[in-house]
Amino acid sequence: MPLKILIMNKLLLGLFIISFVFFSCEKDNYDGPTAGLSGTFIDALTNKPIEQDIINGTTIELLEKGYNPVTPQYLIVKNNGSYENSQLFANTYTVRPVRGNFIDIPAQEVVIKGQTILDFVVTPYIRVKETNISKVGTKVIATFKLEQNVLNPIRKISLYAHSDSRLGDGMRLVVSEKTINVAAVPNTIYTIEMDLTSNSSTLKPGLGYYFRVGALINVPEAKPNYAPAVKMVI
Amino acid sequence: MNTNNIKICTLLAIVFLLGCDKVLDLEPTDRLTANAIFGDPKGVEIYMANLYSQLPIEDFTYMKQGFNYNQSGPNNGGQCSSMVTDEATHSESGAGVGDGDFQWWADGYKLMRDVNILVDVIPTLKISDQERRSLIGESAFIKAFAYFGLVKRYGGVPLIKNSQVYSGDAESLKVPRSTEQETWDYVLSLCDTAILNLGDATGRRATKWAAYALKSRAALHAASLAKFGNLAPQSGIAVTEKLVGLETSLASNYYKAAISASEAIMKSGKFQLFKPTPANPQEAAENYRLLFQDPNANGATVEAIFTKGHAVVGNFQGHNYDIWFQPAQTANGWPHPGRMNPTLDLADSYESYTNPGKNTPIVTTMDNNTNDYNGYNPSQNYIKYNTPNEIFKDKDARLWATSILPGTIWKDKTIIIQAGYVKPDGVAVIRTSANMTISGTTYYTYGAPNTSLYSGFDGFGGNNTKTGFGFKKFMNQLSPVIPGWNQSTSDFMEFRYAEILLNFAEAVVESGTGDAIAAAKAINDIRRRAAHKVDIALTVENVQRERKVELAFEHKRFWDLIRRREFHTLFNSSSMHSLMPLLDLRALPATKYIFVRVNAPNINPRTFITRSYYRAIPGIGSNGLVQNPEY
Repeated sequence: MPLKILIMNKLLLGLFIISFVFFSCEKDNYDGPTAGLSGTFIDALTNKPIEQDIINGTTIELLEKGYNPVTPQYLIVKNNGSYENSQLFANTYTVRPVRGNFIDIPAQEVVIKGQTILDFVVTPYIRVKETNISKVGTKVIATFKLEQNVLNPIRKISLYAHSDSRLGDGMRLVVSEKTINVAAVPNTIYTIEMDLTSNSSTLKPGLGYYFRVGALINVPEAKPNYAPAVKMVI
Repeated sequence: MNTNNIKICTLLAIVFLLGCDKVLDLEPTDRLTANAIFGDPKGVEIYMANLYSQLPIEDFTYMKQGFNYNQSGPNNGGQCSSMVTDEATHSESGAGVGDGDFQWWADGYKLMRDVNILVDVIPTLKISDQERRSLIGESAFIKAFAYFGLVKRYGGVPLIKNSQVYSGDAESLKVPRSTEQETWDYVLSLCDTAILNLGDATGRRATKWAAYALKSRAALHAASLAKFGNLAPQSGIAVTEKLVGLETSLASNYYKAAISASEAIMKSGKFQLFKPTPANPQEAAENYRLLFQDPNANGATVEAIFTKGHAVVGNFQGHNYDIWFQPAQTANGWPHPGRMNPTLDLADSYESYTNPGKNTPIVTTMDNNTNDYNGYNPSQNYIKYNTPNEIFKDKDARLWATSILPGTIWKDKTIIIQAGYVKPDGVAVIRTSANMTISGTTYYTYGAPNTSLYSGFDGFGGNNTKTGFGFKKFMNQLSPVIPGWNQSTSDFMEFRYAEILLNFAEAVVESGTGDAIAAAKAINDIRRRAAHKVDIALTVENVQRERKVELAFEHKRFWDLIRRREFHTLFNSSSMHSLMPLLDLRALPATKYIFVRVNAPNINPRTFITRSYYRAIPGIGSNGLVQNPEY
């Protein structure tokens, strides 16, 4: 075969491949997601955000309309009670917070179009109030009061420590816990101590750590309620 | 009618007549008929071998990636189910249970189809009634075993009781999930069919006793789910439709079924514990080791109820325990040994002969504090030992037979596991390669001058134990490692008598029914085989401790934590622990060792999330099934 024709063939093949690539780009690509959903879990009584867990915490279940069966999407919530997913497809969704630390609320139909804001005004199972965390000698001592909004007993109260501000039940270096198993007594001061000496390899003296108090209600699948984390040098 | 028409008619007539003849009813030559296979004992053997090879037996080839993980180049680092429990940690990874791990879905339904094809033709086969009954029993056992493999992973699943016929409409083949209760009941009824039809001989293929053993295990699993399910409540469609979860009230009947199936085996007189009355712990340890090194030798078959064999080396045949889990010193050129690191947590669980029936964590300090994991503390008063393993002196023989302890002999070599030394001035050098010469003798932090001469704590290649314990149970001591893939051929006992005794004891103590005296005897017989001389009481704690240590590394612990819903409380940002032996040079010229309890170094804490109690069902988009909670 003459060289010229061979080159021509290769050129044609190249052209064919290039046109195929561009052609498939046109055909196959859907538009990206253009909508989003964000908001905050707000305490119906105090109007303040409800503290959450970022790991294994409250989730928001989204069921997109028009699919059967539909695979649920789950949004996680930041420790400060806010959440955001800015990359959702515009559509109508059934939205329901699940496995939360507040009294269950029903699902709602939400048209998500553009960046949609949806706050959940709910009643937390427990309010952790008047928290004081301080270092006393070789211990960190947390004192707080508990106010609960359901009749169930409180399963446990905990003091968590971590070098990261997003600490909680699913993310801690050290935890001190007390099992309670009765309902909270109003205006009682609860105390948890964390011994620093016996945790000296994880909580190193002279460094700063976050501490956070949590209380878990005895409701199936409930997540703990928290007071905001505080940072301390130990 | 002209001649042509007549000719055509004649031709057609001939064609039709021929068609009526049997000449065209040929047996297809590209496949075998049911009778050709099952009418011939050899054909049955071949078909059965295929079914057995697909059984979800959690042996040495059961890895995180699934069953029969012994294909060409099964390079998964040797990650198996023990490493996501508290039995062990991997030397390089602290990963827990991932959504895609330990799956068995499509392969399960492939096996189900293969066994259903057999079930369908059994009535038509030209075989004797006895042969027919044993085929009915054997296929029921295989189906029961397979559905047990599915229900413990996924909860209620589609029950395909007979083979499906494809008529061009895929939708008609879709079967919805049954409830979890229906699925467990189906497993147990298949066990009953197998028990009724199988002979009472023992052997490698399914027997009446293997079917009783399966029923004992499955019924105990179901009973535990019913009793302990509330410890980890879940929600969602699968829960409201009862596709996952069992009512608490069901527990007592399932426990009863576990008790009677176990009793049938115990009263049969066909099985016993291998070497039940050793003279001393050393003998007990060696007996226990031999039982797992080769369940066919030395009379160990008295304990085996159902065994999976690995007769041939090579891909899809042999396994890889010996290469992955060998101490670095005996790796024999294999570059990646030492992956299975038994934990201090497991070692703590073994009883001490000096304190029967009590939890006896390994004490390292004069103040008896076993909860301090902060590392070496120069002001701490450590107990000084004369050898690297004197600290385990009174511990249960099975610890010695399950783990390679520091300074013990393995394959004619002293296995050196040392994390560092304390210099004469009191400064410790730990998990760092260093040496110092004192009075002409050179001391090394890892106990020897280079990586081929020790097996502990050095991060080199991930080849050394990070916990202070090497892996021994199941390992072949007789021959050097062949440094290649799929070269190990040891057999695995899927059911053995000791498990049946433990199932029985647990069902009795958890249900509060049944023969409590026989149940106490069951656990004490197992302890006697481990050289314990003092009997202990039948309590939940004693039964669980005994089960944990006796069945360690047999892939039972994973399911115990699942069925008793203990996984998520045991693993919540939890570290596994190590025991670091340090050479104490402050004691020179005497050779003394001290031990430090620490969090397993450079291994992430593990968390088990409750959705992992059920695996995610694959392919929801096409099979249209209801997914398990939280996936």
